[in-house]
Amino acid sequence: MATGILSKEAAIYAVPLVTLLIGLLVGYLGQRSGFCSIGAFRDYFLFRHTRLLSGYVALIVASFAGYLFFWFLTPEAMEHFFWALTSNPLTPVPGAPAGLVPAAYLIFAAIPGFLVGFICVLLGGCPFRQAVMASEGSYRGAFFVIGMCVGSILFGAFVSGWIVVLMRAFGFGA
Amino acid sequence: MLPNTSSDTIRHFISTLIRHPAFLGVIIGILAAFTQALLISAGGPEAYGVCIACHVRDLVNGMTNIIADTSLALAPISKNAILPVMGVVGIMAGAFISAKVHREHKIKEAGNREYLFYFVGGLAVLFLTMIFGGCPYRAALRTGYGDLTALLFIIMMALGVVAGTLYMLRKAEKEES
Repeated sequence: MATGILSKEAAIYAVPLVTLLIGLLVGYLGQRSGFCSIGAFRDYFLFRHTRLLSGYVALIVASFAGYLFFWFLTPEAMEHFFWALTSNPLTPVPGAPAGLVPAAYLIFAAIPGFLVGFICVLLGGCPFRQAVMASEGSYRGAFFVIGMCVGSILFGAFVSGWIVVLMRAFGFGA
Repeated sequence: MLPNTSSDTIRHFISTLIRHPAFLGVIIGILAAFTQALLISAGGPEAYGVCIACHVRDLVNGMTNIIADTSLALAPISKNAILPVMGVVGIMAGAFISAKVHREHKIKEAGNREYLFYFVGGLAVLFLTMIFGGCPYRAALRTGYGDLTALLFIIMMALGVVAGTLYMLRKAEKEES
């Protein structure tokens, strides 16, 4: 069990508050900058604009730098840092639904990745951008967010179970 | 005159900085790592600081569990805490405040068919991101954390964007002719 800076008793109260404050800052800056992960690749492919792409690349690099920094500071909070080097490199970090062979997680990354890119570029933005556009007054973005809310209940109640059954039926059960 | 111009330069620099996506990228990356260092005792998963789809799932399912006494799946960090993660509430409130302050808040309506299209799109995107276990932002965080499946997700997402863009271009050409 990984331990962070706060003890468990303090952390369970801090979770909603800290994420809310970080969300406020990220949402504010997101509205100012138009940050979008789908738009990053779309603008680069269509116009060779690198403005949004620089944001997404900066996110990957900064997250590595941030995890590295806090890994030095609190190594026990970063239990599985350098995941690909310390375990089977083709499996996701723990937290994904268990009980399937490693190849299933490659399929889970490849096919949803392609479809998310395809659908989101048709809708004109990644989930983050849609949420920001909904806050700017776009009804389309609001309906996207409502769709995500309804989808999360459906996914939790039915779809996740069906997918595990489906993957087992195709012989990916461990 | 001189202090005035230099403070103008600083103000200009700051306003350029906060409007640059790379600045936000750096902020998200560092804050996500900070969140994990601070809060991981409450429960996993790792590389979970900022994610839209996962935090929507945790918020909706967590609140449904509290209100309706169901047991929908959600991440341990939200299950153990007194309330689920509030990242999306913060993001939408922050974006709303920013839009109001800068007078960019404007109601934009569209047709019913488009609303249905976006609703189904949101549904599909949530299913797909949950199958993978993260939206594009968590994919970036996981790549930074050393997860190669997340890198595969990003590469396939870029290919999907290229395919979608080509599809839209072809559709636009067909409508023109």
